[in-house]
This record gives sequence, C-alpha cells and structure tokens, in this order.
Amino acid sequence: MHELSMASNLIDIAVHEAKKRNATSVIEVNLVIGKFSMLGSEQLRYCYNLLIKDTTLESSKLKIEYEDGKIHCIKCKYEGPIQLKKEPEFHIIFPTLVCPTCGNPGEIISGRNCYIKSMRVKT
Amino acid sequence: MGKIVEHKEDEVFDIELEESILKKNEDVAKENSQLFKTHNIQTIDIMGSIGSGKTSLIEAMVKRLKEKYSIAVLNGDLTTTIDSDRVAKHGVDVVQINTGKECHLDANLVSKALGDMDLDQLDLILIENVGNLICPGEFRLGAEQRLVVISVTEGPYMVLKHPFIFMEANVVVINKLDLAEAMNVEFEKLKADVMGINPKAEVIGTSCKNDKGIIYVIGALQLV
Repeated sequence: MHELSMASNLIDIAVHEAKKRNATSVIEVNLVIGKFSMLGSEQLRYCYNLLIKDTTLESSKLKIEYEDGKIHCIKCKYEGPIQLKKEPEFHIIFPTLVCPTCGNPGEIISGRNCYIKSMRVKT
Repeated sequence: MGKIVEHKEDEVFDIELEESILKKNEDVAKENSQLFKTHNIQTIDIMGSIGSGKTSLIEAMVKRLKEKYSIAVLNGDLTTTIDSDRVAKHGVDVVQINTGKECHLDANLVSKALGDMDLDQLDLILIENVGNLICPGEFRLGAEQRLVVISVTEGPYMVLKHPFIFMEANVVVINKLDLAEAMNVEFEKLKADVMGINPKAEVIGTSCKNDKGIIYVIGALQLV
C-alpha cells in the first residue's frame, strides 16, 4: 500500500547518486527486498515505471532480488530460515518468529530491509 | 610519448550502494527515540485496523492513567479531528496529525508534531496510528513499544491475513469481546494465531465500551 512512497524514495536516492557520479543516465537499478518487509514487488515495479519519467532513470530497468527471512533463536541458538506453513492457502511466505527447532521465540536477523544494492550508469 | 588515457563517451560503470530505501524513516525514528529517552518519556505506537477501537482504547487508558502520568496523545488520521476531539475531552494534551492521503504515520510527521510540544512536562505519549494493518508496521516512529488492536467484528481471519504487523508488536489487543458470541469469533483462536506469528507478544482481550480488560493492557505495557 505504501509502494508509491517507497518507489519515490528509491528514485530520489538513485537520481541523487547518479548526479553525484556525473552519470547522464541510469541503465539499471538492482534492488533487494527482504521477504519480511511489507513491500509488494509488483506494485513497487509498477510505481517505479510511472515515476521514472523525465528523470535520469527514464530508460532504466529495475531488477529485484529477494533476501530470505532469517531468525535467530535466543534459546537454542538456531540461525536460519523460518518454517513455512503447509496449508495451501498460505501460498506466499508466512512469517513466524517461532523457532523451527525448539519452538521458542526468535528474533529477525535478516529479511526486514529493502535496499539498493547497486546501480549501472552511463556517463 | 607515453600512453594516453582518454575519457570515452558512453562509459558504463557500476556503483555499489547498499542504501536502504527505508533509511530516511529509520534515521528520524532513531532521533525521535533519543528525544523520548532524553526527556524520560514512555511512548506507545498504537496501530490497528479501521474501527477496531484504537481511540476507545486510548480513551479508556487515559481515564485510568491521567492521575499518574502527564499524558499527550498524537492522533493520526487522514482528514478529521474526530478522534483527537474525543480524547481531548479527558483533559489531556492532544495533537492531531492529518496525513492527507498517506495510509500510515511516519517518523517525520511524529517529529514535526513533537516540535510543538513541551516535552519536559510529559511522561507518557500515546500515538494513534492511521487505521491500517499493513503499512504502519513498516514505518517505525521511534516509540518504545508497539501495540496492535483488532476486534472480533472483523471476523476470524484478521491475524492470518495481515501477519506482518503482528511481528512488530509487543502487545496485541483483541477488542469488542462483548460481541464475540454474536460474531461467532473465538478469542482463543485469534490469540493462537498471534502466538503462532509472534510468541513473545502479550495478547489481551478487551471490551473498551464496557471498560473491561483495560487494566491488563496497562499491565502488559508496564504502565502500572
């Protein structure tokens, strides 16, 4: 639901960076979306393509990679991905902080963020 | 003659960046958090679905806590002052934050609201977020604690359909328990759904209309 403002942030950062490096245009932006973030990639891409008009990103491609959600268990020290629910209605990642090995609460150690990993630009 | 390196037109290169698109908000949230600590103010970000009873919960909490704490309430809403008018009747400071079209409060809006307040006079700030179970979860405000309110009238699947926000909360309130039977919705089932996502969360049933369960919410937030 907030993909428009996030796409706008993303474009601001990329435009600023391109200007700093004296680039005339941006060819691609490589974005990483954590699976624990609340962003939808399709909506983000849609907003991105609307907002890049008349910027140095106009003909750029948005490439998206996904970062797995990982938790750390305080009790048994498990570190790794969460267990996915088997029910057919959960067809996308269903988040849970329950440790898959011991059932105690875990803490998120990755997958919460969304960041620009790199950009390819032209001078 | 030595080798000449000339600048080529149309040179393509890669820039490594690793810059978070949420960073701007996270930075301001940290500043807010620091400000709260400096002034020794406890803060709670109250998120929840539309019509779940966020304002009713705040009114009930304010009634019980206003003798003990000097309270301010920030009410986030798209357009109206209906909620802040309700809370103001209890004699505490209120600041209305109208987001216009945005579906969530962000750290910057909260920071702006704080600019108008006398923080030295306060020891508790309740922040009512915009009614929404998706976006507010992503935008930390700098509040020490986060609470999510849902109600039984929204049906039995509210938690399962919006799991992410429950990972963010340390207290979850399930409101309107007086209507649970009529709605054929079980508190225990909703509670189990929350625990399946976030076993550390404290889940409390309330009926804000009848002032039921409020003391347990206050206890879970360690405001007693």
